Amino acid sequence: MEIRPIISTLGRHRTAALLIVLEIALTCAIVCNALFLIGSRVEQMTEISGVAEDEVVRVQLTGIGTDENSDALTRTDLAALRALPGVKAATVVNQLPFVSSSWNSSIKLKPNQDRPTLNATIYMAEEQFVKTLGLRLISGREFEPGEYRNFSELQGPGATTDLPVAIVTHRLAEKLFPGQNAVGKSIYVWSDKPTRIVGIVEHLVRPSLQGGPVSREDSIVLPMRTAYSVGGNYLLRTEPDRRAEVLKAATAALRANGPARIVLEKNTRTMQELRRDFYRQQRSMAWLLGGVILALLVVTALGIVGLASFWVQQRTRQIGVRRALGATRGQILRYFQTENFLLVTAGIILGMLLAFGINQLLMQKYELPRLPWYYLPVGAVALWVLGQLSVLWPARRAAAVSPAVATRSA
Amino acid sequence: MFAYYFGLALRSFRRNKVLTALMILAIALGIGASMTTLTVFHVLSGDPLPGRSAMLFHPQLDPQNKEGYVAGEEPPPQLTRFDAETLLRERKGDRQAMMTGGNVSITPQRADIAPFRVDSRYTTADMFVMFDMPLLFGHPWTAAEDEAHARVVVISKMLNQRLFAGENSVGRTVRVDKDSFTVIGVLNDWRPTPKFYDVFAQRGYDATEDVFLPFTTSRDLTMDRSGSMDCWGDNNGDRTALNATCVWIQYWVQLDSRDKVDAYRRYLTNYSDLQHASGRFQRPTNVRLRNVMQWMEFHHILPSDVTLQMWLAFGFLVVCLLNTIGLLLAKFLRRGGEIGVRRALGATRSAIFQQCMVEAGTIGLAGGALGLVFALLGLWAVRQQPVDYADLAHLNPVMLLLTFVLAIVASLLAGMLPAWRAMQITPAVQLKTQ
Amino acid sequence: MLEMHHVTKVYRTELVETHALRSLDLLVKAGEFVAVTGPSGSGKTTFLNIAGLLETYTGGVYKLDGEDVSNLSDNQRSRLRNQKIGFIFQSFNLIPDLNLFDNADVPLRYRGMPAAERRRRIEEALARVGLGSRMKHYPAELSGGQQQRAAIARALAGSPKLLLADEPTGNLDSQMARGVMEMLEEINQQGTTIVMVTHDPELAARAQRNVHIVDGMATDLAMEPALIHATTPIGATTV
Repeated sequence: MEIRPIISTLGRHRTAALLIVLEIALTCAIVCNALFLIGSRVEQMTEISGVAEDEVVRVQLTGIGTDENSDALTRTDLAALRALPGVKAATVVNQLPFVSSSWNSSIKLKPNQDRPTLNATIYMAEEQFVKTLGLRLISGREFEPGEYRNFSELQGPGATTDLPVAIVTHRLAEKLFPGQNAVGKSIYVWSDKPTRIVGIVEHLVRPSLQGGPVSREDSIVLPMRTAYSVGGNYLLRTEPDRRAEVLKAATAALRANGPARIVLEKNTRTMQELRRDFYRQQRSMAWLLGGVILALLVVTALGIVGLASFWVQQRTRQIGVRRALGATRGQILRYFQTENFLLVTAGIILGMLLAFGINQLLMQKYELPRLPWYYLPVGAVALWVLGQLSVLWPARRAAAVSPAVATRSA
Repeated sequence: MFAYYFGLALRSFRRNKVLTALMILAIALGIGASMTTLTVFHVLSGDPLPGRSAMLFHPQLDPQNKEGYVAGEEPPPQLTRFDAETLLRERKGDRQAMMTGGNVSITPQRADIAPFRVDSRYTTADMFVMFDMPLLFGHPWTAAEDEAHARVVVISKMLNQRLFAGENSVGRTVRVDKDSFTVIGVLNDWRPTPKFYDVFAQRGYDATEDVFLPFTTSRDLTMDRSGSMDCWGDNNGDRTALNATCVWIQYWVQLDSRDKVDAYRRYLTNYSDLQHASGRFQRPTNVRLRNVMQWMEFHHILPSDVTLQMWLAFGFLVVCLLNTIGLLLAKFLRRGGEIGVRRALGATRSAIFQQCMVEAGTIGLAGGALGLVFALLGLWAVRQQPVDYADLAHLNPVMLLLTFVLAIVASLLAGMLPAWRAMQITPAVQLKTQ
Repeated sequence: MLEMHHVTKVYRTELVETHALRSLDLLVKAGEFVAVTGPSGSGKTTFLNIAGLLETYTGGVYKLDGEDVSNLSDNQRSRLRNQKIGFIFQSFNLIPDLNLFDNADVPLRYRGMPAAERRRRIEEALARVGLGSRMKHYPAELSGGQQQRAAIARALAGSPKLLLADEPTGNLDSQMARGVMEMLEEINQQGTTIVMVTHDPELAARAQRNVHIVDGMATDLAMEPALIHATTPIGATTV
C-alpha cells in the first residue's frame, strides 16, 4: 500500500484529520496517565503488610471515663483472651495497620543532630506482639522478657524515658544504615538516650498513609506494654476459619471481664476486613479511573467511526472509479485501514508528549512518581487496536461500493 | 429567524438520528462527568460560614524549641494550651474561643439503651455566637460557666433525639463518661463544610460533634481528646497539662474590621516577643493570622483525589468536544450542497453560521438535559462512596443551571469551527448528488 | 435589467491561468427572454454564476437592474440575490429534507417576510405551477417535471425581477420539458426577465433572442449568425 496518496488525500481534509489526531492524542495521554494511576493504586492495595492478615482479628473497646487500674485490667483481659479456644496468641497494641490513628516520632542517628533523619511510626509491643501479628524476624532477636516496660510508667511526672532496645523493619534499617547490618546500631527515638536495634522484621507497614508510599515501612517496635485505654486495640491470632467464632468469643470475654466498657462493634473485625475498608477509597478511585478509560475509548472509537464513514460516503464515487479501474475489495479495505493507522500513529506520537506533560503536572501537584515508560507502548497498542477495530465497519462499507458507481452521473 | 433555524435543526436531527444521538451522548457523558466532579469540588471547597468566614481568624505562634529550627518556616498550626488560655484571658479580639475534639461515653438513663461513644468538642463560650451556631432549645453557656468549670453540655439534635426522643431537654441530666451534666442547649442542624474549625481530625469533612462542653471541665475530668498533637522536648507526664510543650488547641478569634486585624497581628507579635524575652519561646517571633478561607487554602483541605477527578472529567469533556467538532464538521459538510443552494437563494454567510450554531446549541441543550441525568447518577454514585463527604454530594440550583450553561457553551464552542467552515461554502448551482 | 461590459473572469492556479470569460458584453432589457447558448467549456456556467452573483469577476462592469455590483460585499450580494434573482437549476436543487412549502419558503425566510405574507406568496406560487395540492409532499415523492415546477415556484415566490435558468429542461423528457418551457414563457409574458442557459438549439429558438458564447465571448446571434459553429473549447469549466 502506497502511503503518499493517502497522505495527500488527508492533506485535503486537514481540519477533520487534525481533529481526529487531537482526539486520539488526548485520549492516549489521559489513558496512559489513568492506567498509571490505577497501577499505583493497585500496588498500594496489594502491598505486603507483614501481618498474618488471614489469621488476625481485632477487638476495639473503650472504658467509660478514665480507668485508674487499666494496666491490671489489661493483664486480666489478655489472660482471658489467651484462654479462649482457637486463640493462638493475643496482644494489646497502641495502633495497627489499616487504621488511620497512629503514634509517630522523629528519629535521629546522633543525640545532638539538629534535624531529625526521618519520622517513623511507633508500635508499642507487649510480649506476644510479634507472635500475634505473625511478623517474620529476618535478623537479630526478639525482645527478651526483662526488656518490657509498662507505658504508664513512662507517663508519670518526672519519669525518665529509657528505651534501650527496638526492632525495626528491613526497609527502615536500610534507610537508616544503608548497606550495613543495622543490628547493634543505635538510634535516638523519643529521648536523648540511645536505643539499640536488636532485631529486624521483614515487613511491618505504618497504620496510615502518612508520608506517602516511600514511608510505608518506616516502623519501629518498642518493648512497651500499653493498657487497653491507649487506643483500646486487642489483636488475636487464630485459624483463618475460626475468626468469626473467636471475634464473638473475645467480645463476650471482654464484656464479662471487669467494669462496663463499650465494645466498638463497627471496628471489631478481621484484619482482612480492616484492610478492605482502608483501601476502599483507593479501590473506588481505581474503578472510576477504569470507567473513564473505557468511556474515553468508546467516545474516541465512535469519533473514528463517524468521521471514517463520512469520508467513505464523500468518496463513494472516487472509490467506485478505483474499483472500475481494477482495485480489489482488499485494496480498498487496506486503503482505509492504512489511513486510520497513519492518523492513529500521529495521534499517539502527539499523545506521548502530552502524556509526559500531564505526568509532569501531576508530579508537581500530587507528588506522583514519574510515569514509567512501559505505560506508553501499552497505551499505543490499545489505541492502534481501537483504531483498526473502529475503522473496520466504514472500511468494509467502502470495499462494498460497486464499480458501477463510476458510470453513474454525478 | 431563531425559530426557523431551530425547526431546521430538529429536521436535521431526524435525518441523521444515529449521528445526532452520538453527538448528544458524547456531550452528555462529558457534561455528566464534569458536573459530578465539579459539584463535589464546589461542595468541598465552599465557604463553610458565608458572611462570617472573612471575620474569623486562626492565630499561630511558634513556641517550639531551637531544635531543627529553620528561619521563616511555617509555625505549628495549633497552639499550646498555655498560649491559648493566655490569649483567651486577654480577650483582644471581638470574640474568641479555644477548643479541641474528643470522644466521650454516654450512658443513657434508660437501661434498655447500652452506653455508646460519641464525638465531643471541648470549647469555650464564644464559639456558639462566633460561629453562628443555631440552637433548637436553650442557650449556650457563658464565660462565667467556663471559669466555674460548670458541668453543662450542649447536645446535638440527633443525640437529643436518641436520649430524649427530641423533646426540649434543657435542664435534664446526661451522663457523660462517669459524671452527670446538665443539658443547657440543643444544637439544631449545623454542619459547616468543610469543617474548618478542626481540619486535622478527619480530613475536614466529618459530621458535627454530638456533645459540646466547657474546655475547663473536660480537663478536670481528663476526658479523652482526639486529633493531631505535636510535642517537642522531653514530654513525659500529661501532654494535655497547662505547661506541656505540645500544640493541640484550635483557637479562633473574631475580628470585625481591618484595623482590628492589624491590631491583633501586632498584639500577637508583641505577645510572642514577650514570651521570647522571658525565655519561654526559644525561636524568633514568627506569627500567622489567617482567616477561614486562607486557612483552608493553606492546609489543602480539598482531597487531592477530588481535584484529580475534576481535571480528569474536564479532559474527558475536551475529548467529547473534539469528537463533537469532528462529527458536526462531517455533518455540516455533508450538507454542503444544501448550504450551497441556500446561499444561491440569498442566505448570507452569517445566516448559514447562525443556522449551524443553532443546530450545535440545540445538541448542547439536549446533551445538557441528558448530562444532567448522568450527573445525578454520578452524584448518586459518589454518595455510595466510602468517603466522609459522601452525603454532601447533591446538586444545588446553581449547579443545575451551570449544567445547561456549560453544555450549551461547550456545544457552541464545538460548533464554531464547523459552522465557520460551512459558512465558507460557495453558493452553488449544483446540488451535488450524495 | 442586466448589463455586462467587457466582463472577464480568470481562474488562477499555480501552474495555469485560465480565461473563462475573455470579454463578455451583454445587454438584457427588462421583460426580455434571452437564451444563452454555447458549446461545452465556452464559459456558459461562468457567465451564469457571475450573472447570478454567485461568483465575482475579474474585470469589466456588471450592472444588475441599474446597480453596479462590482464592489458589493458578500452580504450585499446575498441580499441582492435574494431580492432580485430567482434561480432554476438543471438538477432542480430542491432541499430533500424540506417539503415543497418549506422549500419555497427558503428565500422568503432570508428576506425576513412576515409569516402571513410568506404563506400567501408560497400558496400562490405553488398554485401557479399547478402544485397547490402537493405542498406537504417531499421532493422525492414527485416526478422530475413536478420537481422542476416546484423549483420554479420557489423562484417565483420571491417575485424576482430576473429569473436565471440553467438548462431547466436538461433532466426532463421532452413532454415534461415542453410543459416547463410553456410555463417559463407564461412567466415572461407576465413581466419577468428571463435569462436561460441551454445547449439545446430547439429550446433556444423559443426565446426572443439568442446569445452565443464561444471561447468566453458573447455574440448576439441576431447580429452575427455566422459564428454559431466557430468553437474552440478551453476546458476549464463545463456547463
